[in-house]
Amino acid sequence: MRSSEFLRGASGDNVRRIGTSITFRLAVMLGGLFAIGLIVFGGLIYAMTSRELTARSDQILRQEAHLLLAEPAERLPDAIREEIARNMHGLNYFALVAADGELLQGNIPTFPGLKPGQAVDVDEAAGHGPMRLTAVTAATGETILLGRDTSEIHYLLHRLLVGMLLACLSVIVAGLLVGSFLSHGLLRRVHDLQMVSRRIALGHFEMRIATTGRGDEVDQIAASINAMVEDIERILSQVKTVTDSIAHDLRTPLTRVRNRLEDARAAGTELRSEDSIDDLIGDLSIVLDRFAALLRIAELEATERRAGFGTVHVADLLGTVCELYGPLAEDDGILLELHADNTLELQGDGNLLLEAISNLVDNAIKFARRRVWVDARVIAGCVTITVKDDGPGISEEECEAVLQRFYRAGGEAQRPGFGLGLSIVSAILHMHHFTLDLRPGRPGLIATITVPRDL
Amino acid sequence: MPRILVIEDDSATAMAIEKQLRCNGHEVELAANGLAGLALACDSHFDAITLDRMLPGLDGLALVEALRERSIDVPVLMISALSDVDERIAGIRAGGDDYLVKPFSPPEMVARVEALIRRSGASTPDAVIRSGVIEMNLVRRTVLVEGKPLRLPTMEFKLLEFLLRHAGRTLSRKFIFEQVWGYYFDPGANLINVHIGRLRRKLDRPGHLPCIATVKGEGYRLEVF
Repeated sequence: MRSSEFLRGASGDNVRRIGTSITFRLAVMLGGLFAIGLIVFGGLIYAMTSRELTARSDQILRQEAHLLLAEPAERLPDAIREEIARNMHGLNYFALVAADGELLQGNIPTFPGLKPGQAVDVDEAAGHGPMRLTAVTAATGETILLGRDTSEIHYLLHRLLVGMLLACLSVIVAGLLVGSFLSHGLLRRVHDLQMVSRRIALGHFEMRIATTGRGDEVDQIAASINAMVEDIERILSQVKTVTDSIAHDLRTPLTRVRNRLEDARAAGTELRSEDSIDDLIGDLSIVLDRFAALLRIAELEATERRAGFGTVHVADLLGTVCELYGPLAEDDGILLELHADNTLELQGDGNLLLEAISNLVDNAIKFARRRVWVDARVIAGCVTITVKDDGPGISEEECEAVLQRFYRAGGEAQRPGFGLGLSIVSAILHMHHFTLDLRPGRPGLIATITVPRDL
Repeated sequence: MPRILVIEDDSATAMAIEKQLRCNGHEVELAANGLAGLALACDSHFDAITLDRMLPGLDGLALVEALRERSIDVPVLMISALSDVDERIAGIRAGGDDYLVKPFSPPEMVARVEALIRRSGASTPDAVIRSGVIEMNLVRRTVLVEGKPLRLPTMEFKLLEFLLRHAGRTLSRKFIFEQVWGYYFDPGANLINVHIGRLRRKLDRPGHLPCIATVKGEGYRLEVF
């Protein structure tokens, strides 16, 4: 769209919005600055040109006067007449004025106020155009008036002035047009951004803001918003999964409790059987345990608790975990092996890290066939703790998914506690700014905790 | 007979706590709000206080702080429905001695109160603890089952000591883990099962009922034969 068409087509609201846009104001400011520069520059040229041309006229007049003064007194009227005859095209004017003010010879009127040696500008009048006029006194006491036509100079200066004004006007108009054009482009993108943002706010989290690919400021903002929306979409999807899982994991035992109580009421009996009561308590305990675990995760994720932080001796930490879980492994016929560099230390909350690693070891023992390895060493300058088992393991796609709340790896739905354990591990490590990497060990699963070098 | 002050605004919970404490031979006074509880605690001597975290009138944290400011160092078990990571720290910092999260099993509450009384020195710790056929000498670090010595590793010794001190009471896995190992997280049911299982195998005698009973959905109980 051409700028003029755009301006014609713009509504009052659009014009107001363009007028307040940063781009428009910047363009107008730059245009104004440029116009001021042009005026100053043009003014200087105008003044210098005018001064130079006047000086040249004065110089010519002085030379003419010098020549006339060199003439003998008696020849002066003739000399002036000859000069007038020679300048028939009317560029120079001459006059000889007697001491009493009477015009003796010449083609211009007398100028009584003009003092000898003085040069003045005289406006156009009958018999002469605009001119530069000077006077000299002859040896006879008479006054010689010498004038030089300045019509050409005035014309040149006028053209110069008009040219400058046109240039200034062009710069201002161009500034306005360019500003409007640029603002219109920017406003259109901001408008698009607003429209998409509003739709996202209404719940269309699949929408993304279009980028031009030029990587300009608007593209950068759009990219940031897109990344944020992507995160929100992912979190919402997780919340949905969690909500569904809560519905399943909490409702199932609660429904069993309700059914048992309703059965007892329908049968008109009391809950006498110890097994029935145990079952009810067991189901309610499951609900309460899961609820407690959920609250714990929320708490770990929501706060940046550093109160329990201190220096943790890694080998001692892993030793405690293995001592705790050794009997469990042994009873399951699994060999729990520990290899830890005795010099390793890290900054963290010992109790929380013990909980996280216990969870990983507990999981490894649950899924292992024969062996679980716990290992701590420095890899690429980072303290790295690895828990590995030789069980069935999980696929690479599932490695990401198991860190989500309530997720259970396929075929293991009946194993208790798996759903929230890794979420707790993940929350604890996230709080420490440590990373947790899960990958298939073929066989088994390898869980790696990495402490970043700068921590 | 130890005197316990129960400060609890929910009458059903207060009655359940009172009943359980009375059944275990404790004298109980009830206060239904924080101000009444503070006044009672200041006026008479108690061996322990169970204190609800959220109370009308005066908050549980403020109450325990007020007690400590008045140099009343009676052991306080704080009971709260709030989750137990930061709240436990806040409760202990304010001057509470132990922290129990609702819902709780009444026997565990009694066990915690008694542990507090014992720790505070209101009753002198025994050098020898006995329950049924088991006898533990805490000074010599020895265990006798029907008079026969039994060697136990350190953690199993601590576990048995804890069970003996609360013989006849059902103790939750979480409570056992907290008190014996000293960690405040859920280690999974299997871990405590295994440690209890190992101890049980060492204590059990052929032809007799197991010493440690499993209470389904709740925990374990050292039987008093």
